[in-house]
Amino acid sequence: MNRPRDTEAKRCVFIAGESPLAEEYASACVGAGMEVAVRFNAGSGGKLPAGAVRRARAGKKDTLGIELTNTSRETKRKNLADMDRALPSGTPILSASAATTVAEQSAWVRAPERLIGIAALPSLLQGTLVEIAPSLPAGRQAIEASQRFFRELGKETSVVQDSPGMVLPRILCMLVNEASFALGEGIARRGDIDTAMTLGTNYPLGPLAWGMKIGLEQVRAVLEGLRREFGEERYRTAPLLSRGTLEGSAERSAGAPPTHSQKQRGNRP
Amino acid sequence: MKKTVGIIGAGTMGGGIAQVAALAGFDVLLHDVSGDALKASMERIKGDLRKSMQTGRATASDATGALTRIRPRREFNDLGAADVVIEAAVEDLEVKKEIFRALDQIVAPRAILATNTSSLSITSIGSLTKTPESVVGMHFFNPPAQMKLVEIVRGSQTSDETVRTVYEMALAMGKTPVFCSDTPGFIVNRVARPFYGEALRLLGEGTATAEQIDRIVRLSGGFRMGPFELMDMIGIDVNYAVTKSVYEQFFHEPRFRPHPIQRRMVEAGTLGRKTGLGFYRYE
Ligand SMILES: NC(=O)c1ccc[n+]([C@@H]2O[C@H](COP(=O)([O-])OP(=O)(O)OC[C@H]3O[C@@H](n4cnc5c(N)ncnc54)[C@H](O)[C@@H]3O)[C@@H](O)[C@H]2O)c1
Repeated sequence: MNRPRDTEAKRCVFIAGESPLAEEYASACVGAGMEVAVRFNAGSGGKLPAGAVRRARAGKKDTLGIELTNTSRETKRKNLADMDRALPSGTPILSASAATTVAEQSAWVRAPERLIGIAALPSLLQGTLVEIAPSLPAGRQAIEASQRFFRELGKETSVVQDSPGMVLPRILCMLVNEASFALGEGIARRGDIDTAMTLGTNYPLGPLAWGMKIGLEQVRAVLEGLRREFGEERYRTAPLLSRGTLEGSAERSAGAPPTHSQKQRGNRP
Repeated sequence: MKKTVGIIGAGTMGGGIAQVAALAGFDVLLHDVSGDALKASMERIKGDLRKSMQTGRATASDATGALTRIRPRREFNDLGAADVVIEAAVEDLEVKKEIFRALDQIVAPRAILATNTSSLSITSIGSLTKTPESVVGMHFFNPPAQMKLVEIVRGSQTSDETVRTVYEMALAMGKTPVFCSDTPGFIVNRVARPFYGEALRLLGEGTATAEQIDRIVRLSGGFRMGPFELMDMIGIDVNYAVTKSVYEQFFHEPRFRPHPIQRRMVEAGTLGRKTGLGFYRYE
């Protein structure tokens, strides 16, 4: 029996992906004492966290590969194929699967049994739990390896079925989408929509602020993934999100009396 | 500042709003068609004020003052003395129509008529009165004594002055008012739909169990409650009714489509905490 590679003395993680997701994972890994090499996608920017190094491709020494691209399927496909070629067989590959199903990604690699989808979206690593969705042929070894990895980051895992947007990214991005529809229709001001949702339903953050925190491009990618997979009108992207900004129509709403809102804007949170 | 507030319907919401208004110094006329409801409501308010005193949320003089400022009224016509009326009777358009037609006959010409409706159109309620410009939505959340939010809903004929007056009133009650135009579900009941709708679909598709989804939403997303625990607390029937109402008012927009799981649970009478069984079992 081979010892699973990820239990060797020092974990060496190779991360490829887009900013800020790749930074977030890289700094969490560095923080947990792992050796971290990162390759940011061309054109995505990205600041290397202290303690991590830049490297162009995965190598034989790496014990885990993490692919973190949601916004470009083409780039994701290339990153995964590269990792699949470079990493020794049996080395698990975790892949951001908020916008692309694991099933679809499985066709892009030669060894899908080591592919594990993760619900990776910017800022979600702040939570204490990470959802993972194993590929159909994934073995117990790959699943347990990914669970061990997240345990080392101080996170528990929840194993869900492969489905577009998984659980939290789907719910969250649909909330951002609905709030964006409402804002675009001018039913209320941006700040009022967020205030209403935090005070009226106890959400930890207003959906519009949350959308900005995650990044509108990421939200769009998740919604497009849902739309592609289900082919339903339900998942169409709100016009404001497609336009890529929540500014503009934001301050004018049919609900607020014009002069009053002018006067109030200064002293309202 | 408007001084006398009339409240119609001494149920969960009306009683709570009466208490909040009285604590803020308004004189309150609390009306209900049912004498029993009125009595029960006064008892609830007393109990709640007593608790507020014990926990230090209100001083003794605030609490007793508030209590003396709430006058229960069986006689509808007594509401004629109110500067602002907040209607919180049952959610039934026919009942509300009748109330607004009758109010129109008895209040002063400049009185403001507000409704706490969650799902009916302010514009259509306003159209029944001679003064649609003074009809406005004042949507409190349950329980009104604790929930800070008030959605101020402007019908297509509501005047700026009306909107401003109820805005100031909500502030005086210690609430955080937000403005919203008269659209189905206003802000909260509309924007929150996907929280339940997508969760139900995930469950229906077998992506994860209800327990798992709740846990993910709490621990990964930082929400205080997951969608299934929350539906159990709200009541599956109540949540289903809101979903259906928003869906129908948006002419069957697919984003708001209810889920068969909800309907099945309503048919089975497993309505959440209040029946001991919903998505979870309660002792
Ligand atoms: N319960 C909530 O969570 C909530 C939240 C926000 C808004 N609302 C809205 O507030 C309103 C009241 O809801 P509730 O939960 O307090 O209902 P409730 O059933 O607890 O109370 C309704 C009260 O209105 C009385 N009533 C009925 N017809 C009347 C009439 N013609 N004249 C005077 N009184 C009459 C009833 O006797 C009862 O006491 C509804 O429009 C509802 O949609 C409810």
